[in-house]
Amino acid sequence: MAVLKEEEAISLAEFAVKSALKKGADEAEAFAYEGLTTTVAIERGQITKSSRIIDRGLGIRTIVNKAVGFSYNNILTDKASIEETVLKALKSAKASKPDKNWQGFPATKPFHQVKNTFDEAICELSPEDLVKAASIMLEACEKTDKRVFPVEGGVGASYLARAIANSNGVIGFDRGTVIECSLATIAQESGEVTPICFEFNAERLYKINPEWVGVEAARQAASALRARRVETKNMQVILAHFALQQLLYYTLMEAVKADCVQRNQSALQGKLGEKVASEIVTIHDNGLLDGGLRTWKFDGEGVPQQKTTIIERGILQGYIYDNYTAKKEGKESTGNAFRAGYLSTPRIEATNFHFVSGKKSPEELIGEVSEGLLVYSVQGAHSSNPASGEFSVVATPAWKIEKGKIAHAVKGAMLAGNIFEVLKNVLALANNERKIGQLVAPWILVEDVKVIGR
Amino acid sequence: MKDTLDKIIEVAVQKFGAEYAEARAQKLFKTMLTVKEEKVEAVREGIENGVAIRVLVNGAWGFASVCSFDASVLSDATSHACKMAKTASLKLKNPIKLAESKAVEDRVLVKPKKNPTEIPIENKIKTTLTIAKNVLEYDNRVKSCTVDYLDLVGTNYFMNSEGAYIEQDKLYVWSRISATAKEKDVYTFSREEVGSTAGYEVFDIETPEVVGERAAKRAVDQLKAKPPKGGTFPVVLGPNVVGVFVHEAFGHLAEADLTLSGSVLMDKLGKKVASEVVTVYDDGTIEGAFGSFKYDDEGVPAQKTLLIKDGIVVGLMHNKETAKKFNAQPTGNARAEDFRTEPIIRMRNTFMAPRDYSLEELIEDIKFGYYFKSFRGGQANLDGTFQVGIQEGYEIVKGEVGEPVRNASISGNTLETLRKVDAVGKDFELWPGRCGKGQTAFVCDGGPHIRVLEVLVGGGA
Repeated sequence: MAVLKEEEAISLAEFAVKSALKKGADEAEAFAYEGLTTTVAIERGQITKSSRIIDRGLGIRTIVNKAVGFSYNNILTDKASIEETVLKALKSAKASKPDKNWQGFPATKPFHQVKNTFDEAICELSPEDLVKAASIMLEACEKTDKRVFPVEGGVGASYLARAIANSNGVIGFDRGTVIECSLATIAQESGEVTPICFEFNAERLYKINPEWVGVEAARQAASALRARRVETKNMQVILAHFALQQLLYYTLMEAVKADCVQRNQSALQGKLGEKVASEIVTIHDNGLLDGGLRTWKFDGEGVPQQKTTIIERGILQGYIYDNYTAKKEGKESTGNAFRAGYLSTPRIEATNFHFVSGKKSPEELIGEVSEGLLVYSVQGAHSSNPASGEFSVVATPAWKIEKGKIAHAVKGAMLAGNIFEVLKNVLALANNERKIGQLVAPWILVEDVKVIGR
Repeated sequence: MKDTLDKIIEVAVQKFGAEYAEARAQKLFKTMLTVKEEKVEAVREGIENGVAIRVLVNGAWGFASVCSFDASVLSDATSHACKMAKTASLKLKNPIKLAESKAVEDRVLVKPKKNPTEIPIENKIKTTLTIAKNVLEYDNRVKSCTVDYLDLVGTNYFMNSEGAYIEQDKLYVWSRISATAKEKDVYTFSREEVGSTAGYEVFDIETPEVVGERAAKRAVDQLKAKPPKGGTFPVVLGPNVVGVFVHEAFGHLAEADLTLSGSVLMDKLGKKVASEVVTVYDDGTIEGAFGSFKYDDEGVPAQKTLLIKDGIVVGLMHNKETAKKFNAQPTGNARAEDFRTEPIIRMRNTFMAPRDYSLEELIEDIKFGYYFKSFRGGQANLDGTFQVGIQEGYEIVKGEVGEPVRNASISGNTLETLRKVDAVGKDFELWPGRCGKGQTAFVCDGGPHIRVLEVLVGGGA
């Protein structure tokens, strides 16, 4: 299966929209998606498999009497199958109930330029190239420390394309690439097993560093050995990239969604203009971030992606919207309608949630802590209370900091608190910004976090 | 379909010399809808058709997935899969070998009392709206309610180079109900799930009234709850929490791929890891349960697998690859979410077997501790560190259930905690859920009430 050309993808979407209008829809929208992913996987210390996955489909939303219907299909061989999908979407809309807040699909608006989101070199990579990158990562890991075992990992390269059309004349096509290498490790020594340590590097352009990932995954696991318990007390905590991403994803990134705010599910409801974080905290949702993992010209509804200020120097400035929630408040969408390919209707998600970094090096940040923890990752963040922001998680892997230096690895320590208190207690920011999923952030130093040891 | 798959296997084996080849074709039809408060967000229906091809060549795996049944597309995909495997084998130190399993030919039909494909969409809308109505009308402090509904029906066609050919119907009905309540500055959140492989009749037992009230009552009750004290306490865990504990904290470690990856169970087979009142099964054969099926995605029949017997680890969950390594039999735990993914070792219905205590007897000796009744998420690590978040919990004071606590979680080391289980109840419940391991699998977890002498409780702020 050759990849769809821009004209082909757009004409599929336009055909579906026209067909829906002809068959009685008041409004219609079609979203075509194509993904081609090649991976090489590492399992238990060796490269064991390789895969190639091609997924392609069309999702159609139709509106009949203010009721929404949706149908998708992944067999795009002929017009008849698209027309059949259109009929299903219409049937769904007719069976559904009118929504008085429905105010139409988005109107056309020029898209902004995006930079460094597509690299032909990634499309041209062969499985042999990926095997080579995976071998470099694996060898770097093995060379770094003999006590470390690479549990799993791999290298994956993807080509992704999306096209949209709606009955207001919105038309768009965008394509992008992503390449990623990752390695999970454990270290073993005299009967002790460390928790899983993980490192990865994902980029839109072909400039990953598998060697660094291998070395770093090994270094983390080796230094997680000889873990000891800590006392129960409130202390300073440095949240490294993954830990911060996990905690924010299930709390703050929920609380800023207009849908949660409008439905009384957000602790940030009614707090626009109020201080919700330490004044060194500034966060943007930047759908146009140069080379951002979630950077696209347009969102899942064909609205241009943009940069939206969420928190500026500690003051809450805005929420993120899709077209529906924005129109409900007489506002414009912020371009945050997210789609999981062709399979779903859009929902609100952050794009590149950019926690603006500071000036201190990570070493300087550690140097500022007289007694505290350095937390690389947390376990159980998904059990946080999304409405209140309360969390209760295990810090793993984590290290104790004493007098500005890493003292030892920590075992079984829990962190409990409320993310909105954490944001108010941010003392300092490092300069080591990274992209992790939707989050782009540095390490942050937070005071007064409840640590439950034993 | 049989001829199509036959061709794939033939090309892989004859032309590319595959040691093993399997082809899985799927025709799936999904209906989904979401209700927010009393508003239907979107009714969604979709078709997902495709084929997964997995081959073992020179001891390495190759995998290809395409959304097409077209002969030329499949022929390309087969050759891709075989070439990918050869490339992957370039640096192989230990070639992969597979345990053989009996080649089965079967046609598996589902026999629902109420087939979701025959239920008009209007009825599904009515059911979900009624759930939402029951949640919202329970109390005026309930502020929001989201009800998600999914039904999936279809057929899997499986063939491998050992001569198996299985046509197996699939049927899942699932719903998730989330409610939030608010009073002053206190926000609470509560979630319930319904899931079945039997049919739409699951809503005759888990009626909109029953599940709606269960979700709403918890959200409201938690409003007056206080944060727990952090520290080590005796606890009584309800079936719902026991389920997620045996699944997350123990079950994942007993998935043989993770055992081999260095989980703390690696050298524990045949050894005592838990107190002798602990017996744990992973069972794929419970009729209608959310984690049940007849054949896994390597064509191996599902079975009832004993993992811990009276405190001793007696079994692991295997696919064909790990079974060969352990010189064991495949247990029917190889599951793939769909044709886009490879089968990996997954749990089915995982539970602790009941014994003889009543809930009162479990609680009466505890001076101060906690009763944790319902969970919100859980996660384990290979070193045996687990965390289980609690959405419904109470203090136990002087042998009686006391005031509610909110946003608690428990943590510890799995094996240490299993040794501290000192009493197991006589009741039994099985709860549906979804498990993530790169792919999503539908499962059940459960057990009776149990008492644990000591566990680390993470308190609120």
